[in-house]
Amino acid sequence: MKEGEKPGLEALVGQAKQWFRSQGWEPFPFQEQTWQAFLQGKHGLLNAPTGSGKTYALWFPILLHYLREFPDARERPRPGLKAIWVTPLRALSQEIRQSAERITADLEIPFSVGIRTGDTPQPERARQRKSMPDLLITTPESLQLLLATPGYPKLFNSCYAVVVDEWHELLGSKRGVQMELGLSRMKSVCPALRIWGISATIGNLEQAREVLLGPGSEALQNSTLIRARLNKKITVKSLLPDRMETFPWRGHLGLHLLEAVMPILRESKTTLIFTNTRSQCEIWFQKLLEHHPELAGEIAMHHGSIDKDTRLWVEQAIRRESLRAVVCTSSLDLGVDFAPVETVVQIGGPKGVARFLQRAGRSGHRPGKESRIYFLPTHAIELVEAAALQRTVEGEGVEDRIPYLNSFDVLAQYLTTLAVSDGFLPEETYREVAQTFCFQAMTRDQWEWLLNFLVLGSQSLQTYDEYKKVERLGNGILKVTNRGVAMRHRFQIGTIVGDTDLVVRYQKGGYIGTIEEWFISQLQQGDVFTFAGRNLEFIRIREMQALVRNTSKKSGKVPSWMGGRLTLSAQMSQLLREELYSASLPPEQQSEEIRALAPLFEWQRSESIVPGPGEFLIETFKTREGCHHLFYPFEGRFVHEAMASLLSYRISLLSPITFSLAYNDYGFELLSDQEVDIGLVLDNDLLSPLYLADDLQKSLNATEMARRKFRDIAVISGLVFTGYPNKGIKMKHLQSNSQLLFEVFRDCEPDHLLFQQAFSETFEHQLEEGRLRQALERIATQEVVWKACESPTPFSFPIITDRLREKLSSEKLADRIRRMTRALTRPKKR
Amino acid sequence: MTHTLEFGGELLELHPWGVLYWKRESLLIVSDVHFGKVTHFRKYGAAVPQKALERNFIRMDCLLQDFRPARVCFLGDLFHSHLNREWDLFSQWAVGCPAALELVLGNHDILSPTRYEALGIRCGESFREGPFLFTHYPMDAFEGFNIAGHIHPAVRLKGPGKERLRLPCFFIRGRQLIVPAFGAFTGSHVLEPRKGDRAFALAGEAVIALDEAAPGRP
Repeated sequence: MKEGEKPGLEALVGQAKQWFRSQGWEPFPFQEQTWQAFLQGKHGLLNAPTGSGKTYALWFPILLHYLREFPDARERPRPGLKAIWVTPLRALSQEIRQSAERITADLEIPFSVGIRTGDTPQPERARQRKSMPDLLITTPESLQLLLATPGYPKLFNSCYAVVVDEWHELLGSKRGVQMELGLSRMKSVCPALRIWGISATIGNLEQAREVLLGPGSEALQNSTLIRARLNKKITVKSLLPDRMETFPWRGHLGLHLLEAVMPILRESKTTLIFTNTRSQCEIWFQKLLEHHPELAGEIAMHHGSIDKDTRLWVEQAIRRESLRAVVCTSSLDLGVDFAPVETVVQIGGPKGVARFLQRAGRSGHRPGKESRIYFLPTHAIELVEAAALQRTVEGEGVEDRIPYLNSFDVLAQYLTTLAVSDGFLPEETYREVAQTFCFQAMTRDQWEWLLNFLVLGSQSLQTYDEYKKVERLGNGILKVTNRGVAMRHRFQIGTIVGDTDLVVRYQKGGYIGTIEEWFISQLQQGDVFTFAGRNLEFIRIREMQALVRNTSKKSGKVPSWMGGRLTLSAQMSQLLREELYSASLPPEQQSEEIRALAPLFEWQRSESIVPGPGEFLIETFKTREGCHHLFYPFEGRFVHEAMASLLSYRISLLSPITFSLAYNDYGFELLSDQEVDIGLVLDNDLLSPLYLADDLQKSLNATEMARRKFRDIAVISGLVFTGYPNKGIKMKHLQSNSQLLFEVFRDCEPDHLLFQQAFSETFEHQLEEGRLRQALERIATQEVVWKACESPTPFSFPIITDRLREKLSSEKLADRIRRMTRALTRPKKR
Repeated sequence: MTHTLEFGGELLELHPWGVLYWKRESLLIVSDVHFGKVTHFRKYGAAVPQKALERNFIRMDCLLQDFRPARVCFLGDLFHSHLNREWDLFSQWAVGCPAALELVLGNHDILSPTRYEALGIRCGESFREGPFLFTHYPMDAFEGFNIAGHIHPAVRLKGPGKERLRLPCFFIRGRQLIVPAFGAFTGSHVLEPRKGDRAFALAGEAVIALDEAAPGRP
């Protein structure tokens, strides 16, 4: 090769192949395909599971491109940012860095790797701003924060690659929208940019590529979708109780099967025990130690609210093979390559096929190795779910991730971000934003509305108003000039998800983790709760911190996190129904799980029926709590939530009535003090899919759901300020409650775009209107079986004991109050 | 639709917007308006709707027209914060107001009382009138009957079928009456009634007396 001549494609790829051979490996076809495509200047989406070597698929071509552009780079490295690797979880950044550095070291390429996440200390960030590493590993939030840095276009100018890892995780969330917007800007400021996503298998991979690159964009035209197609063998085994009679009908902890887990732990080197919620994780960890003190020091816990250092320590310990088991939540779902994990235990239904496969894939985490996963059902009916899961690993049936549309809250945040750094020209930004998937259908009016919202805080200028956020400068640039506004906004960028978190800290100092505020608010001084594997006594709240001390007192409470409530996907629901229908088959044609459930089905049949494929079951009975009306569509929690709301609304049109609603993944309940005539419901065809959208809109329940959605919208769009948790900065005079704000909008400005967004999100993402319609159409073809029962049935039990409830009423407010007070003052019966 | 109540030997009218009218003295009692709060938030970049601000003034004007009181007594937290332009709106309103204005100073009233006095508003830490002691904070010990604000009281109601409802209310415990917050952007605090307490819920366009039995937990 002559001096200064650029090496050809084959020569470059040869270097990568040689490295693989030096490790005793052969590159997979998908890896080579990705190298070729990247080096040909293509954008794309790589569909490859965790642990398949996907990092090497994209990391090599990034390096090879550098060597091609600058053949003398080894002697004369070029400064400046070259590539950005975006990961949804901070926990993954260390792992990616290690993989990356291993190759740069072996190939002797001077290519520095830096991490920038919420955990990165301030001095390090400042250093990065002065001199960017060659590869920056970061999160979507931290990338946004970089866009809030004055002079950011210069930082980004030399960047030629951005890789969005675990894109499927971001796709169906607002962080995905944040990423779309970030990419729309990068396309303009990085002239040579290639955009690549990495996604696990989901139903809508083609759409995932379109969202990543922008519909109708040049990037999409010049892109490719590469599938790894590694057929990894997965074995699923259900843990069944010895005697069905002792199996709980409800509950979500699964502790009755604790001893069944022990032989599994003993047999394998390292086991990951996945739980669905952080509270469940805490309890399992505690109970394992309580029953088997010999495990002390050999087991650990990992979830998103635990202190970062502890989490890192746990991850390192897994790699060193010094732990027998780790009890964890979805915090260990993604990425990190833990070769020593041999076995995975899933406690409770994972609620989705993709998630289950991902978790199963955690074991035998090397290409070609078998993955083994044990399923531990937490209550009887979940065994049906187990049977369904067995089938998912055999066939296909992976769910879609639905991308958000018109998330004006995220756009408002993004525009403020641009205004905080260098300011933006509305026309230029409009062109970029309109090319994203999320905002492809945004109207000109909506855009103007948003600009007014940022500059005026409303749609018209009032003389007495002092609204101050974004200002319109003389040259047409929109910019934040107020330092306080800029500071508050930067703090707020990270908070795209959920509830207010409080820091849990020892009174004498020492950070333990974070807990959602609503949990702490239930505690009185002196209450004991379990957190991070410790029994802690609550002292008091100070400056967004919950102060605690260690205690030997027995724990009364375990924090739970609202975010932990999952629903069944459409695919999973269908598999579940099919399994359930097999209850009527002869035992030899049933799965092991369904056979084990025989006693439950027998009890169910003594009061009611186990529905078959052509049947839709309705049960009614009375208890002290009121009249229970149960419906079993087996469609997953969200669809049931919507269906319950719809049906109760339609019933309430017949006569004034108030319901309280409950639902789980199998069915839903309408509870009232009045009995509903089911015959009347059927005669009036109240389960009809006709006028669905209209009726849903009118069901009061939608307002309650929208109220919950609004909480995030208000925070993301900067309408409310959550303070600076963790920073010890008090901004109490600016803290307001999004609930209060919701009411103010409802009363004063119901056409507000962000208020409206709460409703559209409710319909599209919460109520899953599309799925609801399909479910109703299916029910319309079934025969309705109505059973008036004497007492609660096994099917109904998990639902009627649910304490998280919604309301729907057609009575006048005043009448409701009068009736409620009457009920309270009714003399007690002797 | 108002609700008439006997308290301290006097007849008081409870209005569903959360104000008290003492007809014999032609006195309208209003608590925790928090004028200026909307503008304060807006000034710091939180776009609370301006109509919430306007609603406070519009409702005050409606009440003045309906009751035609000789005097209006504010039970504290009249102006939320430091001076901002909403003060100008308030000044105009106060100057044009046909009734005499009085203010019991509250914790949010951090502006100098001289500003209020310049608008002809009488200020004080508390006022005594007939059987009543008007204060911002509910008093622990007092003679006669105490009418106070500050708490923004609300009650939570539970019905059969696990029904729940939360409403702002007038709240009476012994010789003390707590008036709900008037302001449109103020929020509320749920009180747990004890035996003998009485609550009057604001339910849209009506005030509804809840029974003496505790409407909260049994």
